[in-house]
Amino acid sequence: MDTNKNLYTVVYTAVVVLIVSALLAFVSTALKDKQDANEKADIMGQIMTAAQFGTRAELQGLGNSNVLAKFDEELAESFTVNLAGEKVADLQRDKVYPAKELKAQNYKIKGAGEPELPVFIFKNGKTVVPIYGAGLWGPIWGYIAFEEDLTTIASAYFDHDSETAGLGARIKDDPDFQHEFNGEKADFAGTRIFEIVKGGAPKEADGKTSVIDNKIDAITGATMTCKGLDEAINTWLGAYKAYFGKNASTSSCCGECAQDCGKCTEGCDEAENNCGEE
Amino acid sequence: MNAKLKETLLNPIFKGNPITVLVLGICSALAVTVTMKGALVMMLSVTVVSAVSSLILSILRNTIPSRVRIIVQLVVVSMMVILVDQVLRSFEATYAIDKQLSVYIGLIITNCIVMGRIEAFALGNKPWPSFLDGLANGLGYGLILLTVAFFRELLGSGTLFGVDILGRLGYVPNNLVILPPMALILLGCIVWIQRSIQKDLQEK
Repeated sequence: MDTNKNLYTVVYTAVVVLIVSALLAFVSTALKDKQDANEKADIMGQIMTAAQFGTRAELQGLGNSNVLAKFDEELAESFTVNLAGEKVADLQRDKVYPAKELKAQNYKIKGAGEPELPVFIFKNGKTVVPIYGAGLWGPIWGYIAFEEDLTTIASAYFDHDSETAGLGARIKDDPDFQHEFNGEKADFAGTRIFEIVKGGAPKEADGKTSVIDNKIDAITGATMTCKGLDEAINTWLGAYKAYFGKNASTSSCCGECAQDCGKCTEGCDEAENNCGEE
Repeated sequence: MNAKLKETLLNPIFKGNPITVLVLGICSALAVTVTMKGALVMMLSVTVVSAVSSLILSILRNTIPSRVRIIVQLVVVSMMVILVDQVLRSFEATYAIDKQLSVYIGLIITNCIVMGRIEAFALGNKPWPSFLDGLANGLGYGLILLTVAFFRELLGSGTLFGVDILGRLGYVPNNLVILPPMALILLGCIVWIQRSIQKDLQEK
């Protein structure tokens, strides 16, 4: 048979492509449940890493079922809020948002509708919120855990789809970068809530410790990824601003003058309220 | 097994190694050799893709229209790569490694070893030798990967397969070994050793 005829060539390629796509579609459907279960446990691991229940590797070592059990055990509540900071609905206890669902919310935050913004509150007092945005090559996302004052960042965990290994991928792989977030304070009143500064954030007198503010160092060689991360953090924390403003625990001002705060005279230790000094 | 088949199977593992002699697949060899686990999974993935694609294309070799043969090869190889990726993603044990290898699993399709062996061998030989050729080239590639990864993980993290080895002896991990340039230097050393043993590879 002449395999070089046009008709043969067209029919042959069509048949090959049809068979291959049918096979791939079948395999993809057959394995979807298992992949979704793995992804869910992975996201729970990311959230719990941000909420300081262990390092990423420790949580990965637990196995899927233990991660699910731990998440359920440590989670106090999870719900969605809207841009006005009002609680919309409770989430199922094992509901988490895969990257593609965050992407859909990301469009809505940027003006395409009313987003549902997930909030995860853990029994250790940490409030975890997701962020999502564009890196250099693909999406980047992550979770930021706040202390009860909803201003101080307890810690953060970031992940990415396809950033360059050794450069942009360091937002995920470099623990030093993620540790930079610990203890920093988001500035909800300012024009930029958080900044990742190319060339270096302001330092204490020792030249190494970052000043406690809303700025940290960017990664050398990963300018675009850091820009994308900066943008993602500002977009998402901006969306949560109203919720954070309404729900910030005021316990942190107990050490200062309670009357100045005007809110927290109840529930505070009297000795801590040194208002007599003025 | 006759001598010719044996040669097909053993040649790519040392004498005609795809990385050190043919210098194919260097990019992924630099990228996935930070840990032994990653290297092992990469080795198995490339071996499966290379062996099965060679087998399928060798069976089809007389029916493929020569004008579109590269496209047909691409379709088959990419199908295998997607299958491998899907399977790795489905198992709890390999999900994290699949994420760690991220784009490099998908990039197996651009690994010159796979397409190179199909074009050079599978299209002109019977299915069984083609399968062995693909298998052997994958293993030859994997052998170098594992050798490089052994030194990089041991000296760069003080561990092997994630098990602490040098760390407990007070070894401070050398971060330079983790970076890609060190993989190139190690690879160069392997090529050097192989060429001083196999004199016929040396250029005059």
